[in-house]
Amino acid sequence: MSSLELLAGGFHAAFQFTAFATIVIGLLVGVVAGALPGISFVNAMAMALPFTYVMEPTQSMLFLGGIYVGGVFGGSISAIIINVPGTPASLPATWDGYPMTRRGEVKRALMIAVTASATGGLVSALVLAFLSAPFASFALKFSQPEFFAATVLGLVSVIAIAKDQPIITVVSLLAGIAVGTVGVDPLYGQARFSFGIPQMESGIRFVVVMIGLFAIGEVVDLIATNRDLRPKHSEGKGARPRLSDIFKVKGAILRGTGLGCMIGMIPGAGATPGAVIAYGVEKQVSKRKAEFGTGVEEGLAAPEAAKNATTGAAMVPLLTLGIPGSAATAIMLAAMMLHGVNPGPLLFIMDPSMVYTIFAAMIIANVLMIGAGIGVAQIFSTLMRTPPAILAAFIIVLSVIGAFGVRNNIFDVYVCLAFGVLGWGMKRIGFPSAPMVLGVILGPLAERYFLTSLANSHQDWTVFFTRPISGTILFLALLFVAWSMWAPITSMLSRLRYRAG
Amino acid sequence: MKTEVVPPSGREASGASPTGQDRATGLVRLMPALLPAVLVVLALVLQHFVFWRGSPAVTKGLGPDAWPDLILNGLALFSAVWLGLELWVLGRAGRRSALRAPDDDEIYRFGKAVAGIALIVLYGILLPLTGFALTTAVFIAVWCVYGGVRKPLVVLPVSLIGTWVLLWVFMGISLMPLSRGRGVFDQFSIWLLKTLGIY
Amino acid sequence: MTIFKKTNAVLGAAILAGVCAAGAAFAEGYPDRPIELIVTFGPGGGADVMGRQMAKLVEAPLGVPIPVSNVAGASGNAGLTQLRTNAADGYTMGTLISLTVASWASGLGDNKPEDFRVIAVVQSSPSFLFVPSNGPHKTAQDLMAYAKEHPGEITVATSGYGTQDDVTLKLLEKAGIKMENVPFQAPAERYASPIGGHTQAIYEEPGDVAQFIQAGQLTPLVVFSSERHPEFPDVPTSKELGIDISGLDNFRSIAVAAGTADDIVAKLETAVTGAVASDEWKAFCQKTYSCITPVTGAAAQSMISDFRDLIAAQLGS
Repeated sequence: MSSLELLAGGFHAAFQFTAFATIVIGLLVGVVAGALPGISFVNAMAMALPFTYVMEPTQSMLFLGGIYVGGVFGGSISAIIINVPGTPASLPATWDGYPMTRRGEVKRALMIAVTASATGGLVSALVLAFLSAPFASFALKFSQPEFFAATVLGLVSVIAIAKDQPIITVVSLLAGIAVGTVGVDPLYGQARFSFGIPQMESGIRFVVVMIGLFAIGEVVDLIATNRDLRPKHSEGKGARPRLSDIFKVKGAILRGTGLGCMIGMIPGAGATPGAVIAYGVEKQVSKRKAEFGTGVEEGLAAPEAAKNATTGAAMVPLLTLGIPGSAATAIMLAAMMLHGVNPGPLLFIMDPSMVYTIFAAMIIANVLMIGAGIGVAQIFSTLMRTPPAILAAFIIVLSVIGAFGVRNNIFDVYVCLAFGVLGWGMKRIGFPSAPMVLGVILGPLAERYFLTSLANSHQDWTVFFTRPISGTILFLALLFVAWSMWAPITSMLSRLRYRAG
Repeated sequence: MKTEVVPPSGREASGASPTGQDRATGLVRLMPALLPAVLVVLALVLQHFVFWRGSPAVTKGLGPDAWPDLILNGLALFSAVWLGLELWVLGRAGRRSALRAPDDDEIYRFGKAVAGIALIVLYGILLPLTGFALTTAVFIAVWCVYGGVRKPLVVLPVSLIGTWVLLWVFMGISLMPLSRGRGVFDQFSIWLLKTLGIY
Repeated sequence: MTIFKKTNAVLGAAILAGVCAAGAAFAEGYPDRPIELIVTFGPGGGADVMGRQMAKLVEAPLGVPIPVSNVAGASGNAGLTQLRTNAADGYTMGTLISLTVASWASGLGDNKPEDFRVIAVVQSSPSFLFVPSNGPHKTAQDLMAYAKEHPGEITVATSGYGTQDDVTLKLLEKAGIKMENVPFQAPAERYASPIGGHTQAIYEEPGDVAQFIQAGQLTPLVVFSSERHPEFPDVPTSKELGIDISGLDNFRSIAVAAGTADDIVAKLETAVTGAVASDEWKAFCQKTYSCITPVTGAAAQSMISDFRDLIAAQLGS
């Protein structure tokens, strides 16, 4: 049977009542959980795992797939409405999405976000359905040096998001990477920076840091400034969402989608680096470079498209090779294994209908997401009418639950609160926190890719440059730094010249 | 170690920001020079505290401390550059330091913010001792009062129904092992969860 | 730093309270509320799948829900610390696996075998050396002869330095077969590396790479055990090849905190061994090549401490 016929069969199966209802419920659970500050889609998927015990194997994948797709988007709702990213991947949505909200364009921002996310997710689901085999063998060619190079690219893209303070951005990034080294090292199994506290050996997880830095600080500011969260009614012409808005940012959506599909296949990376890199790239190619961070549509659309484009791509290695690249796909693997299903090349031969039903479900979920996203966003905007104090209390409780739920460990709550206090202080003095979060996410990845690459090449560090793909990516990273540093350096030089003259 | 990097007060006055607008100016002007200095020292000192039980014998590869040392050295270097820029900036009138506090168009009430942070930290500390249900109910109520919602007819239902919903969603449906507290609080939580039908 | 001091004090108080509460547990009416099962690793791994399977199967005999919570971190020590410091009243169980025990030998965590009461060791499997099926080495003799001639040229994907993987490679090196240890922290990347041709071999238990064996992507060459694995009768043991490496099997067990009342332990043991005898478990362990007769009581307890001592001795030498 051709893959098209198989996909048609998949659609038929996915449109059966139970299957379809499962997708819809999963999607709604995902969007709501993602939108709740503190509860990330990984949290939600782990919590949903026990429910899949009673389902059919295919149905359990549809459920988790729905949560995955919905949850990756959902985080942007709270990011745009209240400036608190619901999941780490929605961090860039606070940079250009929230400023739009403050201008009174919340509906437009949400419309752009949900359309970009759905487009990214849909393209990525189509890639999964039609190109998974070639993509999988391409992915296998990647080894640790390539992953290291890609991570470096992610790290340097942070410089691009810096407003005009590259030095401080790098300091923040390095501080984040340093935070990421706490705990057991990836190769030797030795505890680092434990200061004799056994709980410190578990390390510091980026989700916990992010919840602390963004949710807690934001909530305190909410009370301290007496800010009103009630959505302002449409002010002026630009406030109403229009279809032409989407067409205006189609380039950004396409670029974000492409980047997201590539980054999604890198193990360990996932949605957050995808979104950030897309933002960095978009900022460099955009004509409105200088306005980024003040509510630029492209700056919202590109990362939104990228983060959802990682969802289908991340499932390519899972389904074709049986290798989960991220926390979310690892949970899907667990669900399949509990049903006695082993993903991998054999699954395509032994149970192609299951595989193609999952493909179809991913496509359907991304189409349905526009409706689900707008619906949940509507409910959330309504919730914003409650007094800020009540809202803030629940954001804090949810953040604490979310931090706890990462590993069911109370110590993570302490870490989260410590970063909450730190984040509030950083915000007060204007020290950037986003690079720090990215450092905590990418630092541990960079370290283990770096050290494993060296171990696999008899400690020969030239391996990063002599391997063609890795060398190319590192060269791109270098270009990226040069490109994004060009403007700040020239402006600094001209300022110096001005002073001297 | 902090005092040596703080610039002499005479220079500070001469470098007064021309845009000097809010009352946080003094603090904001001191912090930028202090922070990178502290970071430099911290990055250099922390390198000696990678391992608590003494460094392990490494026979293969770079060892578990190679990466943190590299990063901390980088942090020290970039913080030093930043410090240099800050000191240079402080020495000249008309230049602004690299860090700028967010220019909130509203008034910022520092006392209120600090009290809020204290409340949040207290909540986190009490959570494992007095249990999720009780601590959360009390926290929500206290926070509402602190945030200006003072009507008992609003505060009580919000705190009680809110906690009940959270308990159901996270301990009942999602089966999360949220803290039940210790000692009598543990027994209270178990009683409560059984009464609510969650256990 | 003050926050850490504070949490330390809080934890101290919490541990104290836990110890005080521990004495007051009776099996009368046990269990009358959910029993939490702490899986000491994240979702998706071998320990997680085992824990969830076990939770599913002991729910009926114990008559209460068994929620599974993943407490990952520090090679499984984070979850065990939680297990140890929770009240020893039988309402918290945990997974205790060989990887964590090996981590104690290399100085991680502050858990000791005496801190836990092992209900039963339910899964165990020796490790194999696998090579990609399309690679140049078809037999163990081939691979070892090549490694002898080209010391350090063969790269082996393992879970890290200081683990039983490392110990095995060290023992092989002593026998003149020097292969390069390439640690991969993430299991998924470890499995992908030989299949993608980035490493020449992988040291792993067969259950974790079952789908790759069945798909014909990985070929087992040698089993590190004193006898052949019943599911792989054609794969020679290391002993047959003249290198006696055994006792480093990957095992997984269910444990509770030390100090749990004997009758509670007995109740749990009955439930766990009953679950292991079920058809559903048998199908599961066959799929992961890890079926054993459950080891309980003092034998299980000494299995843990012996394993730690063995690894410590090998790493020390």
